[in-house]
Order: sequence, then structure tokens, then C-alpha cells
Amino acid sequence: MKLLSVLFLVAFAAASAKAETTAIINARAVTMTAAGTIDGATIIISEGRIDAVGEGLTVPAGARTIDASGRPVTPALMNSGSQLGLIELGSARDTDDSSAGESGLGASFDVQYALNLNSVLIRVALADGLARAVVLPLGTDQAPFLGIGALLHLQTPAAVLGQHGLAAMVRIGGAASGGPEQSRAAHWQLLRNSLEDARVYAADPGKYAMAGNRRSLAALVPVVEGRMPLVIHTLRESDIRQAVALADDHGLRVIIYGGNEAWRVADLLATKRIPVVLDPSANQPATFDTVGTRADNAAILERGGVTIAFVASRLGQNYNTAASMREGAGLAVANGLSWEAALAAITRNPARIWGIAETFGTLEPGRDADIVIWDGDPLEVMSAPAVVLIAGVPVSLATRQILLRDRYAPDHDAELPPAYR
Amino acid sequence: MTDYCLRLACPLFLTFMMLAGSPAGARSLLPPDPYPSTYEPLSRQHTIIVNATILDGAGARFERGSVLMRNGELVAIGTDLTPPDDAVIIDADGRWVTPGIVDIHSHAGNAPLPMEFRAYDGWDVNEGTDPNTAHLFAEHGIYIQDPNFATALAGGVTTIQVLPGSVNLFGGRGAVLKNVPGRTVQDMKFPDAPVTLKMACGENPRGYYGSRGIAPASRMGIIAGYRSAFEAAREYSQKLEGKKAERPPRDFRLETLAGVLNGEVRVHFHCYRADEVANVIAVAREYGFDIAAFHHVPTAYKIAPLLADNGVCAAVWSDWWGFKMEAYDGIRENAALVDRAGACAIIHSDMGELAQRLNIETAKAVAAGRRAGLDIPHEHAIRWITSNAARTLGLEDQIGSLEPGKNADLVLWSGDPFSVYTKADLVFIDGAIIYDRQDPARQPGSDLMLGQPALEDIE
Repeated sequence: MKLLSVLFLVAFAAASAKAETTAIINARAVTMTAAGTIDGATIIISEGRIDAVGEGLTVPAGARTIDASGRPVTPALMNSGSQLGLIELGSARDTDDSSAGESGLGASFDVQYALNLNSVLIRVALADGLARAVVLPLGTDQAPFLGIGALLHLQTPAAVLGQHGLAAMVRIGGAASGGPEQSRAAHWQLLRNSLEDARVYAADPGKYAMAGNRRSLAALVPVVEGRMPLVIHTLRESDIRQAVALADDHGLRVIIYGGNEAWRVADLLATKRIPVVLDPSANQPATFDTVGTRADNAAILERGGVTIAFVASRLGQNYNTAASMREGAGLAVANGLSWEAALAAITRNPARIWGIAETFGTLEPGRDADIVIWDGDPLEVMSAPAVVLIAGVPVSLATRQILLRDRYAPDHDAELPPAYR
Repeated sequence: MTDYCLRLACPLFLTFMMLAGSPAGARSLLPPDPYPSTYEPLSRQHTIIVNATILDGAGARFERGSVLMRNGELVAIGTDLTPPDDAVIIDADGRWVTPGIVDIHSHAGNAPLPMEFRAYDGWDVNEGTDPNTAHLFAEHGIYIQDPNFATALAGGVTTIQVLPGSVNLFGGRGAVLKNVPGRTVQDMKFPDAPVTLKMACGENPRGYYGSRGIAPASRMGIIAGYRSAFEAAREYSQKLEGKKAERPPRDFRLETLAGVLNGEVRVHFHCYRADEVANVIAVAREYGFDIAAFHHVPTAYKIAPLLADNGVCAAVWSDWWGFKMEAYDGIRENAALVDRAGACAIIHSDMGELAQRLNIETAKAVAAGRRAGLDIPHEHAIRWITSNAARTLGLEDQIGSLEPGKNADLVLWSGDPFSVYTKADLVFIDGAIIYDRQDPARQPGSDLMLGQPALEDIE
């Protein structure tokens, strides 16, 4: 009974916070719209959404006011590919739900059922300014299929599933799950065969008797019908060109993921309107598939008219999902990308690529009030969020790591061991 | 060597060895390097950099300062230097100068890129055939065409310690290199650098050997393994001091460990967990040796005063954590809290992608500390990747800070080295320009990258 009433109170508090009006004043509002950056801006928020952004706006009576003191204010960040909520601790098998193993699920493996919305990693990402995360599967027993991804909406006390069935994913090339012992040609053929079968299946599902295969094909029907994007994780130029050809042949919505050598195909990708999700910090030939990796991959793609979005580095993938991605955006600027384009690649662009641009990615009326006030340049590694608002409500920036830090703080009263703090 | 200088037979040599770094009263147990450095500095000119913001690596900051290099040596630093007539003048125009970065945990060359899926399997990092491989030399596993050397250089790294991996309790000797291109690994070796030894505790040794049914299979077995080996090394040392007829045959493992016990070999220790670090320090006290640095230790902040009391450095990542249980309690303020306790904090790489951005890694660790309320000026923090690191290699008299008499290893940065937008414009090693961001003819590259079609210039 007591527990129930506490839950009720929490729910009530959240609802009332959402309902109230909030105004961020004295903002250097980086809108990510045609309005550009507005100094001295006021951002008015009600019902969890942005009502107005501009100079000289009147703050509604009774509104909660947050003074940004001239600091940069941006849309909250979005990461275009991690295992946030799927992997907690690499060494604890029971916290790694990224792969289907020998399940036989193939393309139908769907990560939505495994998401741990209480993950401490999500709290870290949230405190680092992330509001949306694309969660992608890492493998199945049927190469080249990795499974179906989902979209997380980060908030406290726990994240929520923003959208399931976000995209189907395959991995092809030297980085493929089948490993280097299987030719990438085989992966492309397997993918093409499956897409053709999915079309046949869609026309007459009764034709397929084998349950496993049927489910795998059913999962691909939205892909062949253009209702669900196909994420192709691939790195080498030849594979990127294959991906473009596949998109053409089947009329698919393809998103290139990885794309280390995509800079060599920039014009083609721009013409075909195929976006690229990439790690902008990648600049080394980690494998032979990435001999052509360049630090200015993002800059060349952007200049060529390709829509780009960023992910974190290999090391930051899940543990620093937002901070590492933001650092990569800064590094992209150091390597020729414009500051605005780099910020777009972690806000507006991913919202467009993943189909949520109507609700997220810019500071403009009607968008969710997922907003960050930064204590400095949002792309500098020494900066951090000062305030993170989700649906207009400031969230706690306390993470498990911050609690550890404070437990072992050097100036702490030392009467009792740290375990008592 | 072991035979020709015993007891009082050559007191001059003993005196020399004491001056050269052996602890007072201890006799060298290590023969000279059987594979000595063949390093030759590149051609260089007397050079003065003027109008620079200088972080000298020793704790000072100079505005509109100058540094003068002659014959590979740093001869003067200050704000009132007059450019000599015979020196090339480089106007920094407000850009920043720091000592060359010292990366004490690298696998450049022994885990070379690109990874070959069929052959990588540990590369040449681990000799996973015996928990004690103290007789190995990391230099023998180094492929000098690894592109990681060039990317680290473009990030201002001038000195690199390549270490064996962490599956063995005693991994082998480290290779201390100047980040200069050569034809052999000996061309890169830092001349007369003290010997270092890689040791490891925790999950890696117990997991690797335990799964093979070999000790250690637990953290208890790990500590027992250290003690057995050091006990044997102590006996070996004592026998070396004894009558000639009773001297033991040369044992390469015990020779290295005897060097640890008499202070000639600097120990670099892979450990993650704070409580394990404390156990290892206790063993070091038991056998009377020092540990130069614990590496990785994401939880160093939990025992920072212990590290300070024992004069041990902690070489850590800025923010990598959580990937395994040993790293689950890693925090971004780790380096800052170690530093705050008066211990020696270092930021290391372990991985090539981090080695090329140690300045940025440091910036992140500094920023986390500042947000926690700690006062960490730039001129102090730069020590984490320069003089503190040099100290663990026993090279603090030659590198790590911009003080007269030291090697002219320095970096001219395009701006504040702790900004994500900053790049190394010029990198000097021993007064020679090893890397020039504006001049492709002064940018060394791996043979691997030659003629790769994917690297052709775009329109």
C-alpha cells in the first residue's frame, strides 16, 4: 500500500511537471533550423513540447524559469547506433542480449524484448545529453542478418521504448558475423535471395511451410515494401557500391552504417539519397576493409551532399554513448566539417534518417522539449551539460559513477569507511 | 658481465653503476643490453620557437615564451630570450608548446594494424605459454610498419613504451622507443633506457591460465605466483653474490626478476581492482622492491592515498569503463582524484586510437576533475602525459619537461592542447622536425599505406 502511494506520487509529480510551463531565458539557442543561432533567446515550453523560440518573447505568468546565462542551448543529442539497454557489462553474459545466438530467428530477431530500461549506462548517456538512442542488434545465426533494431527515448527514472521495429540490419564484408571465412559475395547473395523470397512470401504467405524461414521472411516484408529501412553495416567501397545497387534493384530504403570508405562514393550516395551513419573518430586502417579510412570522411560526405549521422567510437559505443559521439563530432570539425554540420549529425540529421524529425532534432515549435543547456561549446571535450531537459523537465545528472566519485571524495568526513557514504 | 665485476674487482665500474641509476649500495645484476639502440637523430638545425604559450611539463606556464634548441638539446626557455643569429626562428604566434608526449602503455607494433582475422589471435602481444615470461623482450614482437606509430606521432607522441600483454604474471621486458621511423626496431630504441618489466594481476592471467587448467586459476594463485618467483629470484641474487664456484647458471627469467629486487628494473603493473593493487603493493613491500606504475586501474581513486604513500603512479584511461567487471567502477574523475591525493597520475593509451589523442584524453580527465571542484591548471595537467610518465621509465632527466639540458622533444600545437579542435603542427625529437602537419614530405608513413588505391586523392 505504501509502495503504491509512492508510485502514485511520483507519477503525479511527473505529470504535473510536464503540464507546467517552463521558459529558458538568456539562451544562445542553436536551433538547427533556418533561424540559425539566436543569442538572448527565450524558449517557451509547455506540455513537454516547445511552444516558441525567439528573442524578446514574453515569459508566461507562473512559468518556471531557467536562466541559461548566455550559454549554448541545443536540441538534446541522438545516437544512431549502440547497444544501450542491450549490453550492461561485457563480461556478464546475463547482461548481454545483443545477439540471437543459435536461436534460428534469423532476420526476425528483435531486440525490443530485451531492453533494460533501468540500465546504468542509460543514465550515463542521459547525463551526457542524450535523449534518443538507436539500439541495434549484433548478430544472428543467419548471416548476414543481425536482427531488428529499436529506438529508445531516454528519461528518468527509466527510459522508454520509443519505437520497435525501427529497422532491419545486416552486416557484410570483413566485419561480418559469418567471419572472414565466408565470402562477402555469399553475404550479398544471401541477402538478395532473402529479399526476393520475402517478396514471394508477401504475395502468398501460405507457400512457405517451414516456420523458421517463414518468420525470417515475414520480418523482411516491411523492408521490401519500403516501410522499414535496411541498415547495411559495411565499410569497404566495393560493398558500399553493392549496397547502392541493392537499394536500386529492390527499391529499398538503405542506411549505410560504418561506411569508412564512403567518402569515395559521396556523389553516388548523394544522388541516391542514401544516408551514412559513421564514427567520425575513425581514421586508422583497423582492418583491410578500412585501408581507405580518412579522418575527413564526414567532411567529404557532407560536402558532397550526403546526410550523415554519428555514433560513438568503438570504445565508447555503449559506455560513453553520448560523450564519445560528441567528441567524435568535435574531431570531425578538426578535420574539416563545419561546426553546424557536426552538431546536425548528432541532432537534426539522425532525427531525419530514423524518421522522427516531426518530434525531435531541432529547437522549434511542436518539437519535444528534449533540450540541453551546455556549460561551454557543445562540441568541446571539456564541456558538459549543465541542464538536461526531457519533455521540458530537468532530469537528474547523477549517475552511478557520480555516486562512486562522491563516496570516495577526498574531503569527505572520514569517521566511517566509504561504504557508509 | 656477471663474472667480471664481482665484489671489489672493479670499484670504478661499481661507482659508475651507482651513478647511472642503480640504488645506492646495489650492484648491477643486469648485463648490458644485448641489442643496443642504433638510433641516430635526423638532421636538425638550431631552432628557436618564439611567441608561444608554453606548458613546460614541470608545472610552469609561460605566455609569449620562447624555447631554444641546439644540437638536439633544449638549452633555454623563458620570456626574455633573444633569438640567436644562427637559429631558425619559428613564430608560434600564440600557438602552444608542450614537451613531447610520453605514452607508457602502447601496443604499437606488437598489435599492428590492419588486423588480419586469420592471424591476429593475440598478435605478438602475449606469449601465453607460461605465466612467467620475464625473459622476453617486447621489442622482438614489434612490427615497425604498424601505422599506429605515425598516427601517434601526428598526435604529438615522441616516446613510447611498448609492453607485452597481460595474460602472464610476468609478461616480459618493455621496449622504450623514440617515435622515429627506422629500418629496425633497434633504430627506434631509446638509447640506454632503463629496463622495464610488465607484470599483470587480476582477470586476464587467471582467466587465461585457469581455463587451461594451469595456475593461476584465481587471484590467490596470482599472488602465490609472484611470491614463488620472487623467492627464487632472491635466492638467485644471493648465489650470484656468493663464491664463484657456487654461482648458478645464467637464468634469463631470474635475471630480470633479480633486477627488480635490486631496483634496476622498473615494474609496470597491469591491474584493475583497487583491492588487488593493495595486495600487490604488499608483496612489493615484502620483497623490498618498488613499482613504477599501475596501469589501467580504473578504480585507483579508491586507494589514491595508498598510491601516494608508496610513491607509485597510476596510468589510467580518461573515461573508458564498464566493459568488464574489473572496470565497472571506473569513473571519469579517476586521474584527477589520484592527482589530488598527491600521487602521480598518468594518462596512457593501450590502444592506437587513443595514443593519437592523449592530449584530448587528458582534457576529458581534467574537465571531469574540475567539475568535481578540483583545481587542475593546464600547466599541472600536462604532466600527466609528460613528466609523470617519463618518471616511470627512469628517463625524467632526459625527457618529459622543457628544462635546459634535456632532450629537445617538443610539440608545437595549433592551439590549446586540451581542445578537441587542436592538432600538432610540428613535432620535434632531439631537436629534429619529425612531423610537420603542413609539409607532406615531413610526415612519415607506414609502407603499408603506399599504393593503396583507396587512398588516392579525391578531386
